[in-house]
Amino acid sequence: MVLTDEEQAMLDGDRGPAVRKAMEILVALGESFGAERLIPVANVHMAGSSVLVAEEAGTCFVEDIRAQGGVFVTNVTTNPTAVDPSQWAELGIPESDRVLQNRLTDAYAGMGANTCNTCIPYLVGNAPRFGEHMAWGESSAVVFANSVCGARTNREGGPSGLASALTGRTPAYGFHLKENRYGKLLVRVNTLLEDMTDYGSLGCFAGRVAGQDTPVFVGLPSDPSPEELKALSAALAAAGAVSMFHAVGVTPEAQTLEEAFGGRVPEAEIEFGDAEKADVEASLNKETSDHVDWILIGCPNASVQEIREVATALDGRCVHDGVTLWVTTAPAIYTMADRVGYVRAIEAAGGTVVRETCPFLARSRAIAPAKGYRTLTTNSAKMAFYAPGQFGLPTHYGNLARVMRAAVEGVWR
Amino acid sequence: MSRIVLTGRRIVKGKAAGEAIVTREAISFNGGVDNMTGIVTEPGHELEGGSVAGKVLVFQTGKGSTGGSYKIYDMVARGTAPLAFVQVTPESITTVGAIIGEIPTVASFDIDPTAAIATGDYVEVDADAGLVVVQSGRGTND
Repeated sequence: MVLTDEEQAMLDGDRGPAVRKAMEILVALGESFGAERLIPVANVHMAGSSVLVAEEAGTCFVEDIRAQGGVFVTNVTTNPTAVDPSQWAELGIPESDRVLQNRLTDAYAGMGANTCNTCIPYLVGNAPRFGEHMAWGESSAVVFANSVCGARTNREGGPSGLASALTGRTPAYGFHLKENRYGKLLVRVNTLLEDMTDYGSLGCFAGRVAGQDTPVFVGLPSDPSPEELKALSAALAAAGAVSMFHAVGVTPEAQTLEEAFGGRVPEAEIEFGDAEKADVEASLNKETSDHVDWILIGCPNASVQEIREVATALDGRCVHDGVTLWVTTAPAIYTMADRVGYVRAIEAAGGTVVRETCPFLARSRAIAPAKGYRTLTTNSAKMAFYAPGQFGLPTHYGNLARVMRAAVEGVWR
Repeated sequence: MSRIVLTGRRIVKGKAAGEAIVTREAISFNGGVDNMTGIVTEPGHELEGGSVAGKVLVFQTGKGSTGGSYKIYDMVARGTAPLAFVQVTPESITTVGAIIGEIPTVASFDIDPTAAIATGDYVEVDADAGLVVVQSGRGTND
């Protein structure tokens, strides 16, 4: 790998041990992947913001970097944590996680991070620019940024994101290079996509087939909402190791089918019709009983619009006895939703708007048994995909209307 | 007892020597290995129930969540990490974990290390030179 004089000096330790360690990470990564050089980045979204990912060791590592004089030289936003700052005890989050989380968040903030603590940084002020090279973690945000915004990022884990934030560099390989951004798999959509859940089902279907490859969708509606695109992004990244998709006529690097494939022939072609949609929905909606106890809206984090829809669905009704409703969101979005009364409306109906964490990044393996939760009910394909394996809860999966009916009636229909 | 030398590419610098544990499958360090003990827990994995702690791990490649890098760092602190990684194909999660945990790592060999090395062989890893020296049979005869 060819380094500039400045980069070589960083690697030699001229800017201290934290920057040296960071350059070692980036150079080793670059060499593993055949990168020829590093490229400047000014925008990092940090995976590994939750102690559920970092644990004690990762927290110590981030603290050590800060103690060694580490300072972020890029804009840095952070992913959700393991802790709601004001309601953690009521939610069943262990005190030990709160203590460790404070240490980790303080270490990031102390080096200059904007601790927005959300998986949707693009909706709270970190909006990627077309063609911008970035170092983002959080697989759903990576897919959204590459596909919907046309920014360029690989899937960065906690340490490599930290290394980019300390140096302002990332290795030039993968999705930074245009030749790696073309589609490989053609997906013909031949069914109506009516809401976020349908887009999530599509993402789950295509992600399973695509693996690491980039799918190209034709037949998508021309006007999907940001919420629908984030649901699609999240499900693609969960069911596959997808980093990017194209939707012909919708996403910026796919004005035509030829542009999406870079003039090449698709390696494979699949169809998503009524039958495929029903199959995916059934595969995620596996719990056979009608028992409902834990409901989750907001994976990825809910927008103000989604919170409004939950508040509207609960208007004049109450969450059923024995049912816990979480609507998970970013602190910034919580504040906006609070201003316009949606938070109060949901709370008055017996629901909870949760900030800065979610069932993935909080210790659900401790929360669920402590609270007696036996199932998870959600409109999110990503959450339904992960919940059975990650925290041992079988799922009910359906659209928002169906999930909110379960919240009010206390049974899954 | 025979002696074989494999030539690969240095991924993370350093030297180590010890008993090998070998798998042709990929390993996830976030969810597939217990960081408290070093025991492989992934259901159905070729190494399920075996321990990577204090051994030279010879494996296909890494997989799974990027949280695996921190898990490797955590295992080093607990003394449950492998001594060295000998990998068929390098990838980012184990590479980053090896850098921050200072685990010597060599990959991309002239011959397949998962075929040339058997579990129990004594292996010397010189990552700086990109070399892995295998003392075959020593693990069972000594």
